[in-house]
Amino acid sequence: MTDEELIAEVRLWIAANPAPAAADAEHSDFHRSAPDIVAWREKVHTAGYAVPSWPARFGGRDLTPQQSRLIEREFKKAGLPGSGIDRISIPANILMQFGTDAAREKMLRSFVTGASSFCLLYSEPGAGSDLAGVRTRADREGDHYVINGQKVWTSSAMGAEYGLLLCRTDWDVPKHAGLSFMLCPMRQEGIEIRPIHQITGERHFNEVFIDNARVPAENLLGEEGAGWKVMQAALGYERLIMGEGVTDRRDGSDAGLALVALAKANGRIDDPVIRRDIAQLVAWRRLNDLNAARAKTAGAGGGAALMSLGKLAMSRVLHGDARVRRDILGARSLLDGPAFPDARELNYHALFSYINSIGGGTDQIQRNIIGERVLGLPREVEIDRNIPFRHSMAAGGSGR
Amino acid sequence: MRVIDPDQREAMRESFERLLAHRCTEADLRRIIAEKDAHDPALWQEIARTGLLTILVPEAHGGIGGGALEIEILMEEAGKALLPGPFLSSAVLATAALVESSDEAAKARLLPVLADGSLIGTLAIAGEKGLWDGNDGDVTASGGGEAATLSGVANYVSDGALANLLLVVAGRGTARKLFEVTDRAGLSATRLEGFDITQRLTRIIFDNVKAREIVGGDAAAIDRTLAMARIALAGRQAGAAQRNFDFTVDYLRTRVQFGRPIGGFQAIKHMAADLLIERESAISGARAAAEAHANGTDKADELVAMASFAVSEAQVKIAFDALQMHGGIGFTWEHPCHLYLRRAWHDSKFLGSGDLARDRFISILEKQV
Repeated sequence: MTDEELIAEVRLWIAANPAPAAADAEHSDFHRSAPDIVAWREKVHTAGYAVPSWPARFGGRDLTPQQSRLIEREFKKAGLPGSGIDRISIPANILMQFGTDAAREKMLRSFVTGASSFCLLYSEPGAGSDLAGVRTRADREGDHYVINGQKVWTSSAMGAEYGLLLCRTDWDVPKHAGLSFMLCPMRQEGIEIRPIHQITGERHFNEVFIDNARVPAENLLGEEGAGWKVMQAALGYERLIMGEGVTDRRDGSDAGLALVALAKANGRIDDPVIRRDIAQLVAWRRLNDLNAARAKTAGAGGGAALMSLGKLAMSRVLHGDARVRRDILGARSLLDGPAFPDARELNYHALFSYINSIGGGTDQIQRNIIGERVLGLPREVEIDRNIPFRHSMAAGGSGR
Repeated sequence: MRVIDPDQREAMRESFERLLAHRCTEADLRRIIAEKDAHDPALWQEIARTGLLTILVPEAHGGIGGGALEIEILMEEAGKALLPGPFLSSAVLATAALVESSDEAAKARLLPVLADGSLIGTLAIAGEKGLWDGNDGDVTASGGGEAATLSGVANYVSDGALANLLLVVAGRGTARKLFEVTDRAGLSATRLEGFDITQRLTRIIFDNVKAREIVGGDAAAIDRTLAMARIALAGRQAGAAQRNFDFTVDYLRTRVQFGRPIGGFQAIKHMAADLLIERESAISGARAAAEAHANGTDKADELVAMASFAVSEAQVKIAFDALQMHGGIGFTWEHPCHLYLRRAWHDSKFLGSGDLARDRFISILEKQV
């Protein structure tokens, strides 16, 4: 089938199938979908447009990734959800790639359609940047694993059906070699979820306490002990989504112009220092968008390099934006609350900006990654890399 | 302007890159800049033979008929090699000034000799303040047509002592006009010692110097010339930034201290990661300006203004940190780091400072809110 034939087919299908009412609201939370959206996604999947690059036995059409992008583009143009799952869904893709037949049979379709919601059980109080140092343990008992430990910074844990769990199955090998990755049913005794009160006053993240929770052995992704490899694949999909977040602002507003408007409204636009600061920040924002656009057209190698810069570059934009807003508002930035909406918005964004510079790998970890994987500089020294995890300081050992 | 497809553009870039790799090595650069005018006539003739001096010359006048995209990508190569000499002065500033005018006679007479390299041109446009903003000019014209005379001072004229075609902007604001000096009597050009030892600047005093008015060389044509020159300069800055970054990262991979390459230390590794943002931003900024200008989009002025401060800022940061990361060896005259630093500072003020470009940029944004 030629690309033109494929595009014609997709357009015909879209024209023949009325869009769901809530299509616009769909993108707000990629962890979870509303019921009528799930019904729509079912339809898209049945038509073969959700995961076209997957093998036919998993509901795909054996198309190339490029052809799948063509289909996704048509759906995006029409403002319709449901396609591109083979590119962006974390649970669907890693389950398809690494899951057992039984697990695929049980869960794959519901991840593709979004009928099953999920959360990410990665970070722990003792394993933030050093993710391979997780201490949540999984012990095999018959046809189940028994899980004990604590996870943190888990968004959408409340109501999630499955958790993508990184845990330790072997304490006598080096840290990366003793990890396993599994799909943990969340709605069971032994899982307690407590919201975290964030600096913004919100409670989106959670702590998850796991006390003798049970995971069927068939929910293991990849081999026991090969969890780090699955983790890397999952992180790859997550970073792709975060990187795109930089450019695909869905409300279409121009955050750079907002800064100019704020300065104008506050009579500060003629202040040369404010002008200089705004120019800098708008330029950084635009250049980051331009870099991301170049990443999409560049070949595979160069593209990945550019993509990895987006999140780091966004940190200086977001924190800088808050600084300039504070300068524009002057003393009014001392205030807060509904009576002072511009100050409240500023204060919220100033604090929220840390999500970008800490979440999904801190700026400092991001610089390590860019330095090592993009620029080919020597890796960080990891003194616990080659000793049994049991002896590492992370596990309470001597560190030798 | 004709449409040059991406393959042709890439072929031009490659041939320029190849030529410079052979004829503008660091040793060549050091030899050339030891000359009074930082000019190598043999290299100039070789560039002329490739036809690339005609990049901005329309086909009707025997040129390649390129535009912003072509000059930007060629200037990236020039910037990488720190090409000394009058390429920007002659092939961009003087050539664009003529092309943007409507003086067919002057074009027919001058463009072919600029193209074959036998004539070297430049454009005297900045006044004593060196603002390049259209309002700082200190040259005034009396009379017009074939019998004009120029008086006053033009400062920061690139290659002003070398050029044998001197185009001059007289007047200020909307009254600016372009002239060609026809007789050097009354003209005195002083070579200025420059911080960037790869470039030559001149201060020129005009005392009733005979000149010919270029037809259609009005304020709008002069501003179009400046826009093209600023895109070219942004390309040169992006090119220098790339090369400077790349050889610095090579050094971080090979320089060993404390038993391992220094790029393994976070103090250095994190600087390098931040500089990669600058490297990529310099390229994106320069190319986006060229693309918008070539396509005639309504974002062109905004993106050219942005490139005129943001690309430079990225280049300066790379040049500054690159020297720091080289440590003691970077502090030596024999190492190229200081040449890139000197060029970065030169290019950050030549054709107008970043602050003026920022101001233009914000003024354009203001109209959008």
